[in-house]
Amino acid sequence: MTESTKRFLPTLRRGIGAAAGLALLLALPHHATSFPIDGDQAALPAGSELNEDAAEVPHEILHSDYRGDRISYVVALGDLAFNSPGILGPVARRAGISCGSCHVNGASNAKLFIPGLSTRPGNFDTTGPLFNPRADNHVLDPVRIPSLRGARYLAPYGHDGRMTSLRDFVRNVIVNEFAGPEPSPEILDAVVAYVMEIDFLPNPRLADRGRLTGTMSDAERRGEALFSKPFPHDPGLSCAGCHVPSGAFVDHLQHDVGSGGLYKTPTLLDANFNAPYFHDGRYDTFDQVVEHFDRTFGLGLSAQDRSDLVAYLHAIGDARQPYDTDGVVTRFKDMETFALMLTQAITAHDREAIDLTVDTLGAEFRDLAEQFPDQRDAAVTGAVVERRMARAAAKDVVISLRRIALAASADDFDAAAAEFKTFYHLTFLKALPLMRGTEPWSLFNAAVRDAHNAERRQMLRTPAQAQR
Amino acid sequence: MTAIQPGMRALLLASIVALAVVPPAGAAPLVEAAESYRHLLIDDIGAALAGTRMLRERLAADDVAGAKKAWIAARVGWERSEVFTSGFVPELDQQIDAWPNASHGFHGIEATLFGASRTDAGPETDALVAHLADLQAQLAHIDLAPQRLLNGIARLAFEVGGNKADGGESRLSGTSLNDMQSNADGIALAYRTIFADAVAAADAKLGAAAQAAIARLQADVKIADLRRLDADKLRADSEELVALLEMAAPKIGLDKPTLEEGAR
Repeated sequence: MTESTKRFLPTLRRGIGAAAGLALLLALPHHATSFPIDGDQAALPAGSELNEDAAEVPHEILHSDYRGDRISYVVALGDLAFNSPGILGPVARRAGISCGSCHVNGASNAKLFIPGLSTRPGNFDTTGPLFNPRADNHVLDPVRIPSLRGARYLAPYGHDGRMTSLRDFVRNVIVNEFAGPEPSPEILDAVVAYVMEIDFLPNPRLADRGRLTGTMSDAERRGEALFSKPFPHDPGLSCAGCHVPSGAFVDHLQHDVGSGGLYKTPTLLDANFNAPYFHDGRYDTFDQVVEHFDRTFGLGLSAQDRSDLVAYLHAIGDARQPYDTDGVVTRFKDMETFALMLTQAITAHDREAIDLTVDTLGAEFRDLAEQFPDQRDAAVTGAVVERRMARAAAKDVVISLRRIALAASADDFDAAAAEFKTFYHLTFLKALPLMRGTEPWSLFNAAVRDAHNAERRQMLRTPAQAQR
Repeated sequence: MTAIQPGMRALLLASIVALAVVPPAGAAPLVEAAESYRHLLIDDIGAALAGTRMLRERLAADDVAGAKKAWIAARVGWERSEVFTSGFVPELDQQIDAWPNASHGFHGIEATLFGASRTDAGPETDALVAHLADLQAQLAHIDLAPQRLLNGIARLAFEVGGNKADGGESRLSGTSLNDMQSNADGIALAYRTIFADAVAAADAKLGAAAQAAIARLQADVKIADLRRLDADKLRADSEELVALLEMAAPKIGLDKPTLEEGAR
């Protein structure tokens, strides 16, 4: 049947090995496969693009990774909630939209586009009519979907810095922007804990106090100097005055930079991967951003000055391994963590956490099953028996999860614990090796996916396209 | 999450904890019941074949509206038979219902007819008619093993619970919801015809729970608009039904159903 549109946990990939890292480097730059939603039966308007079929997904690093610690129960629960449409309102749930749809692995989603709510890919009107008509301000005023990396350093929250508390901000997104039910304090705390754990990606070019290090090009060196140079007509201002290098390139203040109001200073860390830029996402490139400041503040930059500043921005906005290739290993990266969290939830008789885990992991395994097409997909040839075995194993995991939820809802946590052992066996000793072995014939293989998507495109082209 | 029926709780616990080995109830009644199902299957595929022949006629007459109507009518019998088709005749299933594939089968014709509002799908429709006729001929003598039919019911019950946020399988024709309704009806038809009596005889409570779960699945998709679908509830109900069928299997002398035919 249809491919599941749900894609969430591609999220969690940490500690990728050196070989995988090399493969990723070779796979870049990021060429995601777009697959717009079409037709009048979909939960989202025709032409919506969630970029869920992307071959590469943003790399995620949690703070505990740096410390070499295990991810805590609370952070794991928050990660699951973040990627669960179930904590949002009915339209989001029907559309399969979660926090992670816009903030893929805690980063942004430069390709997300929803007609009526976006004016360009990568922005979104949080006060539009679709998800919560009661919050509709009747103005199409989309804002850029921000990356949440380093969020704990970046208060206040919101593009105009309207909220000082991240917890208040997250609750507002859930309850008001997406019409979700009031989250329990445990779930809200967990989501906040997860967001606070999302770190900036490491940038080997940056040393202490936000200074560039290593072999610097002349352009970067000149750019760094320009960055701190007072503006000719406003000597109290400089780029670095607001984007404080020693402070994650922010000053926690709102400024009017000629973009139509007061907006908070965005961080420049990881910025190479955070386009589009400005609060409404009006600019695609650093060149356009620099040109805006040159024009607005009368900086009188020469062409070389501008390119020097851009070179500097690229250097400080860079990161090691910004993307991961989607695949079985990456999907399973944090499965052990979630399994551990689930067993703790069963021991604690925490039904809410059990249900959330079952729903979210179940959706993930349903999606994993769909990555291994059955015989109806003529675009995929070979290993059909193995593909069906991988599908069957993923489906068995889904049913095992459901049995855990059913036992828990019947107050029999011993039965839930017993079924957990089955779930664990099915997941790690059956589904994982079967999927790994069959991965070359799955949609995780770029050639297979391209053939499959070509068929989908051919079939789903609009009447106007088909007439041509 | 879906509320659990009180009767279900005891049943699920029993299944998860006890795993009691029950002597096979004997396969003969199931084989007989499968023969009854054969007649229904022949009727459904016959209806799909008649609809497809009508489709061919309407396409030849360049009647887009009539052809669309015939395509939709032909799908009903086909989708009701999915309990059977995917597992028993995978090659014909691929030729008849390839997805996603724009060059042949129902969905290839759908792309031309509904996507482009064109009627130049004659050769594809000829092939579809031939494949359905082939299937109907095979149906008279194919071995309808009860185990494989139970596998088919469980597999389809699982599949109906999949996410349809993108508009589903037949999104150009806008009949994805009809597909799901026919799937649910096909599950009910096959279960009641083949397994309901045997399960009820072996375990009355389990039998009632399975029947109730099937009724819930049918109710979940009995809505006017796919956009009103409560996908979470549908998914939970679908998975609960599969769990119940897995519990029922050993009580009627069958193995736990596999969710992919040919995968075991």
